[in-house]
Amino acid sequence: MENKFSQKVLEKIKEEKIEPKPRWQFLLKDYFIWLTFGISLLVGGLAFCVMLSIILDNDWDIYRYLEISPLEHFLISLPYIWILLLLLFLAVAYYNYRYTKKGYCCNAFTILALSVFGSIILGTFFHALGLGGKIDRTLSRNFSFYQKIHCCCHRKDIWTQPEKGLLGGKIIGIKNVSNFDLEDFSGFIWQVEKNEQTLLRGPILVEIGEEVKLIGKKKEEKVFRAFEIRPWWNQEEE
Amino acid sequence: MLDKENCGEKTDEELVALTLKNQDFFSCIVERYEAKLTRYIRRISAATQEDAEDLLQEIFVKVYRNLYGFDPSLKFSSWIYRIAHNQVISQWRKTKSRPQVLKFEADEDFLKFIAADEDLAGNIERKFTGEEVRDVISRLDGKYKEVLVLKFLEEKDYKEISDILRKPLGTVATLINRAKKQFAKVVKEKEIKF
Repeated sequence: MENKFSQKVLEKIKEEKIEPKPRWQFLLKDYFIWLTFGISLLVGGLAFCVMLSIILDNDWDIYRYLEISPLEHFLISLPYIWILLLLLFLAVAYYNYRYTKKGYCCNAFTILALSVFGSIILGTFFHALGLGGKIDRTLSRNFSFYQKIHCCCHRKDIWTQPEKGLLGGKIIGIKNVSNFDLEDFSGFIWQVEKNEQTLLRGPILVEIGEEVKLIGKKKEEKVFRAFEIRPWWNQEEE
Repeated sequence: MLDKENCGEKTDEELVALTLKNQDFFSCIVERYEAKLTRYIRRISAATQEDAEDLLQEIFVKVYRNLYGFDPSLKFSSWIYRIAHNQVISQWRKTKSRPQVLKFEADEDFLKFIAADEDLAGNIERKFTGEEVRDVISRLDGKYKEVLVLKFLEEKDYKEISDILRKPLGTVATLINRAKKQFAKVVKEKEIKF
């Protein structure tokens, strides 16, 4: 005897002209999930490399000029926006991996560990290629907003404190071997004095157009004595 | 013309391949899983026989629609149970009423499997009445009910439960362990002596 229920199901399928969804739809969904997972890892890697670049580029020794503790300096110097971006894309990568065909077989810790590990490996590779510095510089030069949000402290503000011995800006004129003019980030022109004791730290050239950071002492109004000159970007630009 | 006599000899995977060529073969799959899935639906939901049948029809239509999405690395039974499980959950969400009590059509089966379990065997000295089973089960968390049903009533192994619920094997083991502990605890609290 014909099974009534199976007939009913079959009739419904025939009456409503229900067809199996084509295979390509399932494949497309799978590829999309894997692609999104890959992109999330890639963006996570980029976020990690910029984060690494900012951390390595930071002047960790200037806390004493800022009159704060090393811990406070550490906390205000962390690139929170990139840390948040990294965490966001780790979460996206985790979510996507969970929805791959076999994603549920791994526990949350394994998936997260894999995502973190993947982002770190990719990020370190990108950093070795100099991508972190390039992204940070490009964003800093083209979006003033970026400078304000990329960490708690506005980097240019930190280096616009001549009373505390910190001054940054662009060299706009060289008078002689011991004097040059510098335009700070507020647009003021400073006469900078240096001598043979002035330490040139990092890949620095004292020439017009160069962006620099100075550690020294404000001598008088718009005159600054430089003890140390550093490039604005610690990592060499290509 | 469909030769239904041969259906019984075919594996699930062969029936899927045949259905994709001739939809009439789908009735073989329906017949093979109709009773099993009806029991499963009624065990994990408070559905009446009529509701279970409606739900079952939706499940089979969904199975048919998604036949090309069947992952051959899974057992077909795990795949179809997963669809049934998801459909029941989806139904719960629609009606917003998760059942509080699980219906057991085969309490004796349940007791047999519970009794065979080493962790719980010591607690079982007499037979449950159907009412007692329902009462104990109704006090368990939903996630524990699901795994107990799959493990003891549907007789699924850990791998199959992992595939049905889409949870890692370790999580399934933990859930079953906790479900058994909670079951024993509820029994003790109620001072039911087996």
